[in-house]
Amino acid sequence: MSDQQHIRVLLVDDEENLLEYLSKRLLKKGFAVKATFSGEQAVEVAQHEPYDVAVVDLKMPGIDGVETQKRLRQIQPFLQCIVLTGHGSVESALESGQQEAFEYLLKPVDYDKLLVAISEAYKRKVDLQTAKFREEVEKVQMAGMGPRGIRKAIRELEKIYGIE
Amino acid sequence: MVSNSSSEAELKKVTWELASYKIELHKTTGFLQCILQNATDLIFATDAEGLLISFSKGGEKVLGYSWEEVVGRPIKALAKDPESFEPVMVSCQEEGCALVLDVPFQHKDGKTVYCNASLMDLTNREGQRIGTVAICQDITRWKRLQEDLIQVDRLAEIGRIAAGVAHEINNPVAVIREASGWAAEVIGDAEGLSPDDRQELENVIKQIKAQTGRCRDITHKLLTFVRGSVPTKSEFDVHELLEETIGLLKPELKHSGIEIDLNFAEGPLSVNSNPKLLEQVFVNCLANAIHAVIEKGGDNGRIEIRTVNNNSEVEISVADNGVGIPKEDQGKIFDLFYTTKPPGKGTGLGLPICQNILRQLGGDIYFESEVGVGTTFTVRISVS
Ligand SMILES: Nc1ncnc2c1ncn2[C@@H]1O[C@H](COP(=O)(O)OP(=O)(O)OP(=O)(O)O)[C@@H](O)[C@H]1O
Ligand SMILES: [Mg+2]
Repeated sequence: MSDQQHIRVLLVDDEENLLEYLSKRLLKKGFAVKATFSGEQAVEVAQHEPYDVAVVDLKMPGIDGVETQKRLRQIQPFLQCIVLTGHGSVESALESGQQEAFEYLLKPVDYDKLLVAISEAYKRKVDLQTAKFREEVEKVQMAGMGPRGIRKAIRELEKIYGIE
Repeated sequence: MVSNSSSEAELKKVTWELASYKIELHKTTGFLQCILQNATDLIFATDAEGLLISFSKGGEKVLGYSWEEVVGRPIKALAKDPESFEPVMVSCQEEGCALVLDVPFQHKDGKTVYCNASLMDLTNREGQRIGTVAICQDITRWKRLQEDLIQVDRLAEIGRIAAGVAHEINNPVAVIREASGWAAEVIGDAEGLSPDDRQELENVIKQIKAQTGRCRDITHKLLTFVRGSVPTKSEFDVHELLEETIGLLKPELKHSGIEIDLNFAEGPLSVNSNPKLLEQVFVNCLANAIHAVIEKGGDNGRIEIRTVNNNSEVEISVADNGVGIPKEDQGKIFDLFYTTKPPGKGTGLGLPICQNILRQLGGDIYFESEVGVGTTFTVRISVS
């Protein structure tokens, strides 16, 4: 999977030892990885750096996984979040209407499953982003600007949606 | 003689009064006798020494003794602990009013009978104690229920602790898993390792992975077991779910040569329940059946899955021709951690989880088994 090179993964878990090994393995696979050890830190990091997929532990001191996930998406609307949960909390998280996460995975998570989830989440992010980009481009074209204005507006959009 | 005739009238009056008292007394005695004969409670009276002089029919039922067997015997001899019964009688005398308390008696057959007793001291007109009367209600069943509830409470507490431990254990297990995964990659890249050493290290890593997987299995199952939330329900077809479940077990069934016979009721079997939880039940029953058949060996292994539609409920049975369960073990298979599988193969949580799930969903699970012939597990679920 060569496109893994482009996938930027944000890891959020208070278990530092876990993130150490997990990030090493993901890095070796070719992902761009950033490890953060709390929801607050993750939110802070996301203010400055765009990511494709976040892997967030549900149970953390400070703001928990569900809240972290929500805030991350406020900053980066296309970011897809994979939430790692203990048993039983999957249902409770789903039932409380927090369905925005891309996927919930049971801890301790199976590494291969995580890899699959990350690439699927990435695909979803790209799809959503492209669709939205097209929509905006259409809007620009309908707006009746001159060719120059259109080109400029599209370049703007390309920047916003990170499309080269 | 005026005085004479008046005293005669007096006499008549007294005689008449006496007669009416006698009738009254007769009525009262009859009334009391009726109570003693028909009350389901143990009602007794003792003399001042505490020797039984009256014992109700209900008492015969409650304690198993007939009136002839106990009359004249000290009441404390019927108590479970005669010594501690003495002070009860004494405090009853001092109290001067009815004393209500729980007293354990001993049934003729040795069982303990808990009674809620109200004891009253009897005195005559001169204020002398002439004995005690008591009405005792058998509350053994209620007491048992109370103990059961405490037991359930304790189990729930143990469950909560177990869940907490399982949660906590999960984290270090996850770290071990990731660390060993990383070690595997480092070993993969390492240069200068002899092929033997490489093989050895790879085996070690594989072992760590397998064992952490085992930990994860146990903690997940344990957490499923104690999960308290009420399951959500939706409408689905049991037949479809069964087909999917069999699909899940394909890897186990492959090469086993086991024949699976489906004997489904006509048409779809629609129920309003929780498919995820029921899938767990079917997976476990099927996995158990497969294991039992393989353990028996031979090549005519067969598992029959049958469904029956009883309108308000459906029955799904999984019948195998495996090793069967010995009579002496049949009482244990629903116990937590009871397993006859080798270490690493079974956690002994499958059936307790199934039982728990069915309790939550409204249904039950039971089985019939004969050694050497096979086992049939039947799951019953209500349609809505
Ligand atoms: N179909 C069957 N035939 C024979 N024995 C059975 C069958 N089903 C259950 N048992 C007996 O009951 C025991 C408990 O079953 P249970 O499903 O609770 O645990 P397990 O299968 O041993 O482990 P787990 O399901 O947690 O992996 C089994 O180990 C086995 O001895
Ligand atoms: Mg089992």
